[in-house]
Amino acid sequence: MKKISDITIIDDDAITVFGLRKLISTSIECNSIESYANGKIALDALTNFFNNNQQIPQIIFLDINMPIMDGWEFLEAFIELPITNKIRINIVTSSIDPRDKQQWEHYKDKSHHLITFNQKPIDRNKITEITQLA
Amino acid sequence: MYQNKATPTTFVRNFIGMIKVPLISNTSFIIRQLPTPTAFVDTNYNIVQTSDKWTSIFNENEESNKSNSLFAVFPNLSHKWKMVLENCFKGNPQPMGIHKTIDTKGQDIWFEWTNAPWYDANENIVGAIIQLNNITDAVNNELELNKKELLLQQQTEITKIGRWEFNMEDNQLFWCTTTKSIHEVSPDFKPNIETALFYYKEGHSRNTISMALFEAQDKGKPWSNLKLQIITATGKEKWVMAGGKPIYNKGKMVGLIGTFQDIHEQVEADIKIINNEKLLRTLIDNLPVNVYIKDTESRKVLINKAECEYLGVNDPKEILGKNDFELYPSESAEKSRAEDLRVMKTLKPVIAKETVNTRLDGKQTSFLSSKIPLLNGKGIAYGLVGISLDISKLKEKEKELRNIINIASVQNKKLLNFAHIVSHNLRSHSANFSMLLNFLESEKDEDEKKSIVAMLTKASNNLLETLDNLNEVVSINTNTNIEIKEISLNEKVEDACQNLSPFILDNKATLENKIPENFIVKSVPAYLDSILTNFITNAVKYKHPNRDSYVSLSAEKKGNYAILTIKDNGLGIDLDKYGEKLFGMYKTFHDHTDARGIGLYLTKNQIDAMNGKVEVTSKVGKGTEFKIFFNEKN
Repeated sequence: MKKISDITIIDDDAITVFGLRKLISTSIECNSIESYANGKIALDALTNFFNNNQQIPQIIFLDINMPIMDGWEFLEAFIELPITNKIRINIVTSSIDPRDKQQWEHYKDKSHHLITFNQKPIDRNKITEITQLA
Repeated sequence: MYQNKATPTTFVRNFIGMIKVPLISNTSFIIRQLPTPTAFVDTNYNIVQTSDKWTSIFNENEESNKSNSLFAVFPNLSHKWKMVLENCFKGNPQPMGIHKTIDTKGQDIWFEWTNAPWYDANENIVGAIIQLNNITDAVNNELELNKKELLLQQQTEITKIGRWEFNMEDNQLFWCTTTKSIHEVSPDFKPNIETALFYYKEGHSRNTISMALFEAQDKGKPWSNLKLQIITATGKEKWVMAGGKPIYNKGKMVGLIGTFQDIHEQVEADIKIINNEKLLRTLIDNLPVNVYIKDTESRKVLINKAECEYLGVNDPKEILGKNDFELYPSESAEKSRAEDLRVMKTLKPVIAKETVNTRLDGKQTSFLSSKIPLLNGKGIAYGLVGISLDISKLKEKEKELRNIINIASVQNKKLLNFAHIVSHNLRSHSANFSMLLNFLESEKDEDEKKSIVAMLTKASNNLLETLDNLNEVVSINTNTNIEIKEISLNEKVEDACQNLSPFILDNKATLENKIPENFIVKSVPAYLDSILTNFITNAVKYKHPNRDSYVSLSAEKKGNYAILTIKDNGLGIDLDKYGEKLFGMYKTFHDHTDARGIGLYLTKNQIDAMNGKVEVTSKVGKGTEFKIFFNEKN
């Protein structure tokens, strides 16, 4: 398995962040795992990386329901960034609202990045499956 | 030839010989002056002497007159007269009757002829004196009378108007043939006044005619056009028109004459027409629709009760003859007139068209209206009949129903939304639990285990809080019997400020209560507390970093609402971006540590539950203004 350099988790729920970190670190080899409490903080950080030619994380775990800037708003802004690399964005949510699934399909088709839709809970097998390079 | 010619001469000679010529010549000028046309003829029928009156009528010259035979002057009469005159010569004068002659001007003249023997001094009959009595005028009158009689008879036959005469002196009643035939009695029937009255139907008819008869005899009062019923000799009921008046002779009432007309068919037809009209009238008046008929000028010529009621009048006469321009505002009238013209021109009816009609007083009514052209014998429209069904109530019900459907669909959406929120929240917690428990199971490190247990506790607390929040939302939305009270808004605001005073002081905020003291809102007290606390807290909490918070509260009444306005000078919200989500659950828009995203969601639910609404205007960096609408109709 190819080694993954950077992974980013964007979620306002501390427990989920803790869980994802634990799952990833025990099953995948990677350089770093960063986490952000909402879309706005994450977008600011990633835009900053991009502008400074720093490494953009290869895999992003994205929650939908977050304060200030939610997952969709983040996606909307993120796919506008002219990033040539194909980034894997794993949406992780407990929502079963069909509208969220529609949104996902909308962005999936709109972007060259790989966007997946995953429902909680995420187990070890799942994390291995979705933490592969796009 | 000669002998024949000579014969009269011989007679004359003899005649002259018999009477003394001087006598004649003495009397001749007296005879000429006689005031009546008179002729003296001898026994040979020769005219011996005439009065000037005679001469002037027959215009013979005296010579020929004297010499001419009577039969030369009246060739048509010779035979009959000869016999009469012969008798006269024998001393037996007979009436000669009436004869027509033609005068010099060619006009018919009628004469009554009389004759008398002409005696000489010795009492010998020497001839005859013929006198004429001009009765042309009398004859003409009689002819005229005959004519009139004939005319009357014909008229009687044609119009079925019979005549009758009652002679008061001998109590005789005369019926003409028509009168008899109306009574269906035989032509030789002899009526008298008692039987005549008896033919009238007992009751009104007989009473009326008896009264009329009495008044005519008693007071000389005529009667006319009495519509009465008789029972004929064959037992048929008939309508008749009776008239009568007294006749006088030398100022004394001598009898009565009158007319008697069979109007049965007419009356029956009239009754039928009246009945039909009544039926039609009853029908259209009791139809629960507005019915009217308009002429080509769109003037109403017939309206039913419902239309009267619609137009607010008791008597149709107030409306009849008026056109739409006199009954409706000009805009409505123009539309209606254009439609009338189209219907009458194209002859195509308008059927069950949904229209809104405005009355002069501004009241609007929804109608399902039809306009059907009325055609004359030539197929040209002479007006139209309009039928309008008032569907205002139906429309109102429809609107209500639509409202209910809207409310239901909004409720449904809210419920679905809520279901998703619930499922999302519960699922996220249960996912956390299951994940953490998985970790705990496989974890060897004790410190890590403790850390996981701490996480589990936190997750459990979060779940409880979420359940509390959800429970609160559910209770707002399911509590249909919420008790709405009239509350002084000013007092409640003061209370809220009191309760929040430490928080307000900490934030160095200024609150201004501009609400009038007597301002009343209809609200659930607990909801009002929650609404005030939430909005005031938010206004203060999201203050602008560069200035102290200033919040003003004011109130006004508008339409069906009491409106509370809460205005701050805080951060403001980008409504283009967040407007839709502002009142969503767990939506926060500011990077604020104690923003939970539940306050506005609950408040919105409470306002909705009281049939109110919230409006928001905001400018980023300037401030936000919330308007909370309390429904006055509660």
